[in-house]
Amino acid sequence: MDFTNETLDTTNLPRFEEVQFTPIHKDYWKVVLIVEAIVFAVVGIAIGALYYFQQEFRDYGIYLVAALLFAIVFTVGFSRISFSKKGFAFREHDVLYRDGVIATHTMIIPYNRIQHVALHEGAISRIFGLAKVEIFTAGGSQSDIEIPGIEKEQAENIKQLLMGKIRKEL
Amino acid sequence: MADFSSPQRQSKTGIIVMFAQTLQEWGRGLLPILIVTAVNLNNKKIIALTATLIGFFVLALIVGWCRYRNFTFWIDEENEEFVITEGILNKSKTLIQLQKIQQVNIGQSLLQRIIGVYTLEVDTAGSNKKEGKIRAISHQLAIALKERLLDNVARSVAQTESAGQNDDVPALESQKPFIHISFLSLLKYGITSNYLRTLGLMLAFFITIYENLQRLVDTSEYDSKIDSILEESIAVQTGLIAIGFLLSAFLIVNVVRVVVKYFNFRIARQKGSLLLSYGLINTKSTIIKPEKVQITTVSRNYFQKKLDILELRIKQATGGEQEQKQSFMEIPGCDRREGDSILQLLFGSIPEKGVMLIPNYRKLVFSIFLSIVVPLGIAYFAIPSDVLLDFVWIFPLWAILRGLSLAFGFHNYRLFVHDRFIIKQSGAWDVANQIIEPQKIQALSVSQLFWHKAADIGYLTIYTAGGKLSFQLGNYTVVSAYVNKWLYELETSDSNWM
Repeated sequence: MDFTNETLDTTNLPRFEEVQFTPIHKDYWKVVLIVEAIVFAVVGIAIGALYYFQQEFRDYGIYLVAALLFAIVFTVGFSRISFSKKGFAFREHDVLYRDGVIATHTMIIPYNRIQHVALHEGAISRIFGLAKVEIFTAGGSQSDIEIPGIEKEQAENIKQLLMGKIRKEL
Repeated sequence: MADFSSPQRQSKTGIIVMFAQTLQEWGRGLLPILIVTAVNLNNKKIIALTATLIGFFVLALIVGWCRYRNFTFWIDEENEEFVITEGILNKSKTLIQLQKIQQVNIGQSLLQRIIGVYTLEVDTAGSNKKEGKIRAISHQLAIALKERLLDNVARSVAQTESAGQNDDVPALESQKPFIHISFLSLLKYGITSNYLRTLGLMLAFFITIYENLQRLVDTSEYDSKIDSILEESIAVQTGLIAIGFLLSAFLIVNVVRVVVKYFNFRIARQKGSLLLSYGLINTKSTIIKPEKVQITTVSRNYFQKKLDILELRIKQATGGEQEQKQSFMEIPGCDRREGDSILQLLFGSIPEKGVMLIPNYRKLVFSIFLSIVVPLGIAYFAIPSDVLLDFVWIFPLWAILRGLSLAFGFHNYRLFVHDRFIIKQSGAWDVANQIIEPQKIQALSVSQLFWHKAADIGYLTIYTAGGKLSFQLGNYTVVSAYVNKWLYELETSDSNWM
């Protein structure tokens, strides 16, 4: 049997820290903005209705508007950082996904541990031709990777690539 | 070996089991009505009630018989499926692919023990329910069916693993238990486990007693002093006796619970798997397959260390998301030698602790802040100062107790990385060692808060099919190097995680 068991030089192993991450599609930022616009429009209408029908609230109107504006600025700023932090990479043997604003979180799944792959198209994402790639393992929902904002065609390719890898590994 | 290829019914005595089950199901719904009628009884009603009850019994018997008649099971050799059909009006057919079967459990309730039949449950990776359940099957048939069902699992495993590794298996195939947990060990385990719960209870008792004493002192001011002193001492005495009595009652209940649940705990080897059977009233038996084991936890506290007993928890691979809690197997109170031989069987060798990683001191500081400073601070500002004065003694008590437990917890919080094992040690009183093998890793994640970058510390989470294991605030560079190493090992080998 041709079997060797040399000591590994762990310092020369490929390092996940040095991987160049691909940012997600720039149109995805628009998707995020539209979703947030809808949410804030609903909240704004609710506040407007309150202002119109409840006399007592008129005095506080200015504070409500200020709070809403602050919330909008804060949320949009936060999601902008979140958007620019998101990135993915497909290496020869594993897939990496990085995200997180306060903490930088890197998730790594080796191809031979992937159970299945799914494509998900949200209603607004579809307008921009974007899709979400979902990668599942046997490690429970927390260990799954969801990469949003990938062009539909590219997402299909990624799915095919992963399916091919899974089959080969089996 | 018995033939399972054609549909067959359960044991004849299964009618009784089905009848009892029907009775139980209906009884639950009818009990309130029965109680109401029983309360305002008169002669006329007695006759009506007895007639209804008899009718009810007869109906249950018929339904039980029908259930028995319509319940069949067989193995479809062609499609490799285990089939169960059941139901009287709503017929249902359950198909379980043989290769998906994870576990086959054989158990016995009191009634089943009396009439000499067993329950056989089939557990698959697909869902958290016990999918197939045969309620009345003879022991011989149950064993044969179990072997047949698991035979397939063994075969598919043998196919994926390169054959020839299990040469020594036939020699070990004896059913003879190699570990039998003695009554004494169970007693020791019963006394020492759940110690924190007992402690909490003790504290609660002391506080109530203390409050009662205070109230007593307040009311006795009206009586003459001698009387009050007398009363007080009697009250103290009775109070202490009551505490002692309740505590020992709690311990006894705890011990009885452990003994009833785990009585006659035996572990046998069967085709390289562990066969566990235990229970005083309801006998249960399960199989643990070493290749399906994901996380093994060995835990013990100070007393258990002195008494030389430990507790083993084995988490097997689960299919779904929210079932991780249910799928662990507990082996109570084995001694060090027995524990080692179980670990030997599960891993092929006794897990070794390799390079030790320690958490940064910030972990201790942060947890002190979170569980001492914050709650006490909120309590200080939220409770009015006149009320606060009476409870001010709780503050240092809480700070000392919590601080001690955090300090011990921090001292025990370690990650040991060995070539073949990753062991996480944690816990303040019950020190647990969670053992996983690197090839069982499903996914890895590292994360770092931006203000931890300069200190070079971060979080590591290791996901397996039996749950995750995380190590907080270790050296980020070292952790990353291990992540790279584990990834390399996972990606260059075709190791089996299940």
